[in-house]
Amino acid sequence: MIFRRKPRVDRPDPNQVLPPEGVPLRLEIAGLGGRLAAQITDVLITGVAAIAIIILLAALDMTSPDTLNALAALLFFVIRIPYYALSELAWNGQTLGKRLMKIKVVSHDGGSLQTHAVVLRNLMKEAEVFLPGTLLVTLDETTPITSSIALAWVLGVLAVPLFNRYRRRLGDLMAGTHVIQLPVPVFLKDQAQAGQLSAKDNSEFGFLAHQLDHYGALELQTLETLLRASERRDLSPSAYKAQKKTVETIVDKIRNKISYADPVKAEDSVRFLRAFYNAQRAHLEQRQLFGDRRADKFHSQTED
Amino acid sequence: MDEHDLLRSARFRREREADWRRLEELVGEAEKHGVGRMGFEAARDLAALYRQATTSLAIAREITLDKGLLDYLEALTARAYLSVYAPQERIGGLVTRFFRESGPQAMRRSAWFIVAGFLSLGLGALVGYLLYFENAAWYHVFMPPDLAQGRGPGASTEYLRSIIYDSDPDSSGLGAFATFLFSHNTRIAIFVFGLGAFLCAPAILLTFYNGLIFGAFVALHVDRGLGIDIGGWLSVHGVTELSAICIACGGGIQLGMAVLFPGQNSRVVALRKAGRDAVKLAIVAAIMLVVAALLEGFLRQLIQDPLTRYTVGWGVGALWLAWFALAGRRST
Repeated sequence: MIFRRKPRVDRPDPNQVLPPEGVPLRLEIAGLGGRLAAQITDVLITGVAAIAIIILLAALDMTSPDTLNALAALLFFVIRIPYYALSELAWNGQTLGKRLMKIKVVSHDGGSLQTHAVVLRNLMKEAEVFLPGTLLVTLDETTPITSSIALAWVLGVLAVPLFNRYRRRLGDLMAGTHVIQLPVPVFLKDQAQAGQLSAKDNSEFGFLAHQLDHYGALELQTLETLLRASERRDLSPSAYKAQKKTVETIVDKIRNKISYADPVKAEDSVRFLRAFYNAQRAHLEQRQLFGDRRADKFHSQTED
Repeated sequence: MDEHDLLRSARFRREREADWRRLEELVGEAEKHGVGRMGFEAARDLAALYRQATTSLAIAREITLDKGLLDYLEALTARAYLSVYAPQERIGGLVTRFFRESGPQAMRRSAWFIVAGFLSLGLGALVGYLLYFENAAWYHVFMPPDLAQGRGPGASTEYLRSIIYDSDPDSSGLGAFATFLFSHNTRIAIFVFGLGAFLCAPAILLTFYNGLIFGAFVALHVDRGLGIDIGGWLSVHGVTELSAICIACGGGIQLGMAVLFPGQNSRVVALRKAGRDAVKLAIVAAIMLVVAALLEGFLRQLIQDPLTRYTVGWGVGALWLAWFALAGRRST
């Protein structure tokens, strides 16, 4: 194909941020759906605030209806523009909507979020989305040209995030920010420790070095997930049965692959897997220390 | 189980587990209440443990294949990073610093862009003015009907005069008009600023067009012999308001120039650098617009004497100029 661009290999992963410490951190780019939801929440919040004030003014009966209309347009501005900038400053890159959706603005270069960046990206939001948006809503069929320009503008601007890897809109590009999904740290038990294998287990299921050469990190980590699932005690009887069957199938597959001759009794399957996990992990980690990273079971084929 | 029977990576994890849990706690606290409210020891531990955790993460990526641990450490360090590198400035301090230093400094740095903004408005006004005297019908071409409020070549001189010297704003809905004009001008200012990034042209054109409206409007009144009166009427708020639009335009031009002539940087980087000053210009413009709205809403109706109107309008303008020119200079 002529038009296919060469894949650029030197570009950094968009889901990584490089902090000043120099260890790249994984902060996944927020999805556009979540950002839209956060934006809608924020629009609702500011809208409700403005409407509440207008109702208050109307109830106090201080101004004429004409003035009230103009005042309404004014209030939406006066509440909206500072709301975004101030809330993102106060809550470190999160408006209320973003807090709700667990997303956050971060600085693109890995430093801390600068004030002017926050203000700029939110001012641009006004010029990018809100003004043409309100134009679109307020204009009618008597002004087809302006309406279609506003529509094309809004569509064009909304498409910008689709065309860059960091899903940045124009304001983000100018301010040097992007929006990430907040990661949730979950501390899980170490499967190498969890089983508390006794010396008996280790001698019972012994593995030879060549038997551990078949698998790579991917298989090991899949096995880890399986072992974690097999610890769950809240399964329904049918799910428990299905899981037991899976475990037995996997034991058979592993035994075939590594030509493990001794039979494994059905009630010993999980213990066997645990012992295999320990031995395999020790083996792979040791290989890795010596510079031999094995991503998956195809590691021996790709070497030459 | 004996310590030596454990895997190397499991030992690694066991030795550092307590620190990670403590860091998790501190991060939770920092996210809830802010680093500013944490005690000295907690804040110190947060920073120290965060740096430890990044080291742990870097090592863990090399030595362990425990996916549960890797995911946990990735997420924990990322959360800690976000807390440690949160902006630490107070909003009050930011506001003070903006008024005392960074605002006027940015204005002085981008003086030439602002001059360009004033030029585009001034040229627009000149053209509008001349075109009106060529043919009064141009007025309707430029002026949006809801902005004109019945003031056009067809209106009587008496009517025009009555709007300029109107002591009872509510009866004519001038209050509504004032707020309308304010949101109109705010909108123009935001557009002018935001559109500047697109190669300057939209910002300059829009400012120029605003100048056309202004020029035609003035020409209409000069034509009826109300030149001095409309000057006073406009001075009260116009000095501030039109300057605000020009400054916003200056910010927009600055962004556009960064895209057109990025120099040694890539365009995105140049835009980001130009954005630092441009956004301050936009904030200055916003402040000026609010002040202009206040002037327009109150003073214009209160003061009816043209001379006082000139004095107030240009006096406020001089104050702005003094702020831009004098504030935030380092004493040497």
